[in-house]
Amino acid sequence: MAKTVTIVVDDIEYEVPAGMNLVDVCKQYAGVDIPVFCYHPKLGHDGNCRMCLVELATPRKNPHTGEMELAWFPTLQTACTQKTSEGMTVRTKSQKVIDGRREILEFLLSSHPLDCPICDKGGECPLQELTLRHGPGTSRMYWEEKMHLGKHVPLGELIYLDQERCILCARCIRFQDNIADDPVLAFDQRGRHQQIITASSPGFNSIFSGDTTDICPVGALTSADFRFNARPWEMVQVATICSHCPVGCNMSFDTRTDREAGGRTTIKRIMPRQNERVNEIWICDKGRFAHHHMEHPERLTKPLIRRNGRLVEAGWEEALREVTAQLQHAGENVAAIAGGRLPNEDLFALQKLIRAQGSHHIDAYPPVRGGEFTASVGVGVGTNLADMGSGDAIVVIAGDLHEEAPLWWLRVKAAAERGAMLITIGGRETRLDKFATHSLRYDYTEEVATLNALLGCMKLTGLPRSVDGLKEAVKGARAFKPDKAIKDAAEALAGANNVIALVGHEGLDGQGSHNLAQAVANLLMATGHFGRPNNGLIVVWPTANGQGASDIGVRPDYRPGYQRIPVPGMGYTDILAALADNTLRALYVVGADPLFDDPAAEQALRSTLGTIIVQDMFLTATAEVADVVLPSQSAAEREGTYTSGERRVQRFYPAIEPCGQSQPDWLIIQTIGKRLGHGNPSPSAAAVLLEIAKTVPQYAGITYQTLAEVEPQIPDVGGEDLYYGGTAFRNRHGLGVQWPAAAESGGALSAHPVEAAESIEPEEDMLLVVPITLLYDAEPVFHKTSLLHGRVPGPDILMHPEDARYLDIADGDVVRLSIDGKDITVVVRFDEQAPEGAALLPRRMQVQGAPMAATFATLVRWDVEALER
Amino acid sequence: MALLDTHKEDIERHLAKYPDKHSAVMPLLAMAQEEYGYVTQDAIGEIAGILDLDVTHIKGLIGFYTMLYDRPKGKYLLQICTDLPCALRGAEALSEHLCRKLGIQPGETTPDGLFTIENVKCVAACDCAPVMQVNGHYHENLDEEKLNKLLEDLRREAEVSEPAHYD
Ligand code: SF4
Ligand code: SF4
Ligand code: FES
Ligand code: FES
Repeated sequence: MAKTVTIVVDDIEYEVPAGMNLVDVCKQYAGVDIPVFCYHPKLGHDGNCRMCLVELATPRKNPHTGEMELAWFPTLQTACTQKTSEGMTVRTKSQKVIDGRREILEFLLSSHPLDCPICDKGGECPLQELTLRHGPGTSRMYWEEKMHLGKHVPLGELIYLDQERCILCARCIRFQDNIADDPVLAFDQRGRHQQIITASSPGFNSIFSGDTTDICPVGALTSADFRFNARPWEMVQVATICSHCPVGCNMSFDTRTDREAGGRTTIKRIMPRQNERVNEIWICDKGRFAHHHMEHPERLTKPLIRRNGRLVEAGWEEALREVTAQLQHAGENVAAIAGGRLPNEDLFALQKLIRAQGSHHIDAYPPVRGGEFTASVGVGVGTNLADMGSGDAIVVIAGDLHEEAPLWWLRVKAAAERGAMLITIGGRETRLDKFATHSLRYDYTEEVATLNALLGCMKLTGLPRSVDGLKEAVKGARAFKPDKAIKDAAEALAGANNVIALVGHEGLDGQGSHNLAQAVANLLMATGHFGRPNNGLIVVWPTANGQGASDIGVRPDYRPGYQRIPVPGMGYTDILAALADNTLRALYVVGADPLFDDPAAEQALRSTLGTIIVQDMFLTATAEVADVVLPSQSAAEREGTYTSGERRVQRFYPAIEPCGQSQPDWLIIQTIGKRLGHGNPSPSAAAVLLEIAKTVPQYAGITYQTLAEVEPQIPDVGGEDLYYGGTAFRNRHGLGVQWPAAAESGGALSAHPVEAAESIEPEEDMLLVVPITLLYDAEPVFHKTSLLHGRVPGPDILMHPEDARYLDIADGDVVRLSIDGKDITVVVRFDEQAPEGAALLPRRMQVQGAPMAATFATLVRWDVEALER
Repeated sequence: MALLDTHKEDIERHLAKYPDKHSAVMPLLAMAQEEYGYVTQDAIGEIAGILDLDVTHIKGLIGFYTMLYDRPKGKYLLQICTDLPCALRGAEALSEHLCRKLGIQPGETTPDGLFTIENVKCVAACDCAPVMQVNGHYHENLDEEKLNKLLEDLRREAEVSEPAHYD
C-alpha cells in the first residue's frame, strides 16, 4: 500500500496517496475540478499556462515559537506542479483564486482571435469552456492591438496550425517529444511572436500526429481530414474498433447526415475512445485517417458474375444461385481463404460453411500461426502494458512494433522508460532498440535458434509442474550455443518479476511463425511467466483479427476453440498448390487479396480451372480473376466483434448506411449455407456471437451485455468538465472482455522442443529478400485514403551498402527482381541499418501496376542488370 | 566543408563537457555562426546529426535566441536598443533615422551586405541610453550626429579591411 497523507481541500480533509499530483488528487479524491491548460495527466506538468492557480499552504515550524503552523504562500501557486504532502492545504474557490483565474484567462485571450464561430474546436474547446466558467465577460484589449499571425499554416499535409489560436501550452511539443518520440514540433521565436514550427520532412513526420489535435486545448491544431467539416455538436458518436492492426484501439466514428452526400450519414472524423488497457487515449494516424475507403466511390455495390470472360453486374439472386451451384458441385473439394481483418462473426460463419461441406481447407491470409500458444499461455486476464515498469521485462521478437502495431510500440516504449527491461530480438534494428536494455540480432532463419539458446542458458530453479514436456523442451534448448549477448539477456530475464513477450513473424511463413511462437511459449513456461496478469504471450498478428481467426478455427488444423483435427486440411500454401494442379474445385476468398501482394498466388489463382468466389468491398486484384464477386459491407455499416492480440473481444457498432446492395459477410455466407442445406441464417450478428460463445469454450459467457461493461477510467478524460482538455471520448460502450487463457482456467499446458529452421545459403549472385511491414502501404483499404497517400513509400528495397557493393549495385539503381516467378521493379536504397546479407523489401509498396512483395523471406536471384542508374 | 571537417577537435571538446550531449547545442551553434556568419541549413542538419536532435528543435533554438541567425546578416550588425529607458531617451526616433539613412527596415540587411538593423531589448547599459551595439561593441549616449559619423567610420573600415569584397 502506498504511503498516504492527509490534505485539506476547501476545508475538508482527505486521505490521499503521498507525492501525487495535486490536480489529479483534487479531481479523484475531492471531486474538485481545477481548470488546466498545459497540464495533462498523460504528459505531466509543465507549469507554463498558470491556469491552475490555487491558494496553497504547507505546515512548517514557526522559527520563533517552535510550533507547527500552516504557512500560506504569499502568492497563488500552480496546482499542477505540486505533489501532495502531509498537511497540504488548498483553497480552490476563494475570491483570490477566482480573480487569479479570471486574470490568466484575460491574459490568454489578450491576443486570441475569438473566432469560435468558425473554429473546429468550438463546442468542445477547453479555452471556450473555461472562459465561460472562469473568465471575464469582456476584454480590455483593442482588436487592433492583437497579434495577427498565420491562420492556415500547414504542418505537413495532415495537420494545420492556426497560430493565432495557439495558447503556447506546449502540449503538442511534449506529446511529440516524450510520448511519440518524434520530436518534430518546437517553439520558434519568443514573446508575442512565439509559435509552433516543424522542420521535418515530410512536415510533422509522426504516425501519431493526429493525437495532438485531441490534446490541443484550443482550435490551433486541426486535421486536414476534419477542419471546416462539421461542428462537434452536430455529430453522433458511434463506438467502433480499429480494424488495421491487432492492438484493437477503441475509437469512435463521428457521423453526421450530410447534404453533400445527398442526405446520407457520413463519417466526419475518427476519434479515440478511452480504454486504459488498450489504447489509453491515443490512436495512430492510420486508425484516424484511413477510413475513407469505407465511403469510397469504387466500393462494390452489386454482385458481379463472369460472363464471356468479363465480370458483369448481376442481381443477388442470380449470383447466389451461381455460387450455390458451384459449391454444390465442388462438394468437399472446396477451400476458403479469409482476411484476418474480418470480424469474428464472418470468420465463424465461413469456417462453419466450409466444414459443413466436409472440408478443413481453410486458412487466414496472411497465414501466421501462434494462436494455440496465446490460448494456453497468452497474457493473463487484467494485463495492462501500463503496469509494466521497473523490475519487469518485455521481450519483442521478430517484428517492428512501430510499423505493425503502433500503440503497442508506444506503450512498450513507455514501459521501458518507466524502468522495465526491454529485450528486442530481431534480424535488424528497429525504432524500439533505442529503448532496449538488450538487443539480440540474428541472421534471418535463426529466429528459433536464438530463442532456444536464450532458454537453454537460463538458470532455472525447478520447472512449473503444470506443464507437460517442459523438461524435454528445455533439454532440447540446451543444445543451442548462446553467445555473450544472449547470456546477458538470459541473466537479466531471470530476475524479472513479470514478463510479457510479443512475438512477430518477420520473414517467417506459417510453419516458421508457429515454431517461433512455440519457442517463445517454451521460454515463458519454463520461467513461470504465464497464467497471471502482465505475464505471457502476445502474437503480433499481421491483421486486426488474426487472434479471432485462430480462435474461431479459420485454420486447417483446429476447429473453433482449438479442438485439434486429427487429419488437418490444407493451409494457405497447400491450397495454392492444389488450385494450381486443379485438385480443388472451388475457392471462396472473403476479405483477402492474395493476388495483390503474394507473387506465389499468381500462377495458382490465374491458371486454376476451379471456381473462384471473392467477397470483398472492392474489386481487388483477386476479385478480378474471380468467377463471382459478392459485395460485402465495411465495418462501419454493420456490427460485429474483433479479438485483439491481447485476446480482448470488443464490439463495434453500425455507423453509416450500407453501400449499395452490399451485405455483411456473415449473412452472405449463411445465406449460401442455407441454400446448400446447412441451416437457416442467424437473425442477427448478435445471434452469431451467441453461437460462437456456445461453440468456442474460451468465448463462453461473452455476450453484448458483457462486452458493454465499463469501469471508471483514470485519468478521467473527456468528461463534461473538460478537466483534462483532451477530446478523446469517454468509453460508454464497453471495454470488451479478455478471455482467460488455458493457464488461467485450469486447461492442459504442454511444451515441445522446437527444431531450428534450416539456414538459407545463398549461391553467388543471390540475395535473401525479407519482406517487412510498413504501417502505410498500398493495401486497398488503406490506399483509397487519399490523405495518407503521400506517406506510402515508393518501390524501394533497402540494402546494406556492403551487400550492394558485392552485387555491384549503386544507391538509386532500378533493378528487376524475380520473386516466385513474378518480376517486380524496385529502386535500391542504401541503408546502413539494414542487416548484411538480407535486403528488406517493404510489403505492398507503391509499385506501378503491381504493388507486390514476397510474403515470406525468399532467396532471390539478383538480376544485376540495373535498368536505370 | 562541414563543421566536422574543420572543427572536429573543438566539437569533441564541447561534447566532453556535458553529461548529455544535447547540452552542447549552444556552443556548436555559436561555432557554426562564427564559421559561416550565420547558422546555415547544412550546419543545422549537421549539428542535429552530431547531437541526435531533431532539426525542428534546433530551428526553434535559433528562433529563441536573438543572437543566433539562420540567414545571412550584414557585415555590421547594428542592434539598437528600443527598450523603455532608451525609448525615453529618444531611441525610437533614432532607430527610424538609422533606417532612413540605410534605406531598410529593422530586421533587414542593406543590399551591399554591409549593415543589418535590429531593434533589441535592453542591453544592460541604460545609464548611457540610448545605446546601440555594433557586432557586440557598445556605442553609448547616441544622437543622430554620432550615428552618422559611426556609419561613415564603418563604411571606411569595411573598404580597408576587406577590399576583396568590392572588386
Ligand atoms: S498548438 Fe495547441 S497544443 Fe500546441 S502549444 Fe499551441 S495550444 Fe498548445
Ligand atoms: S495502433 Fe493499430 S489498432 Fe490502434 S489505431 Fe493504429 S492501426 Fe488501429
Ligand atoms: S500551469 Fe498548471 S495547468 Fe498550466
Ligand atoms: S533600455 Fe536600452 S540599454 Fe537598457
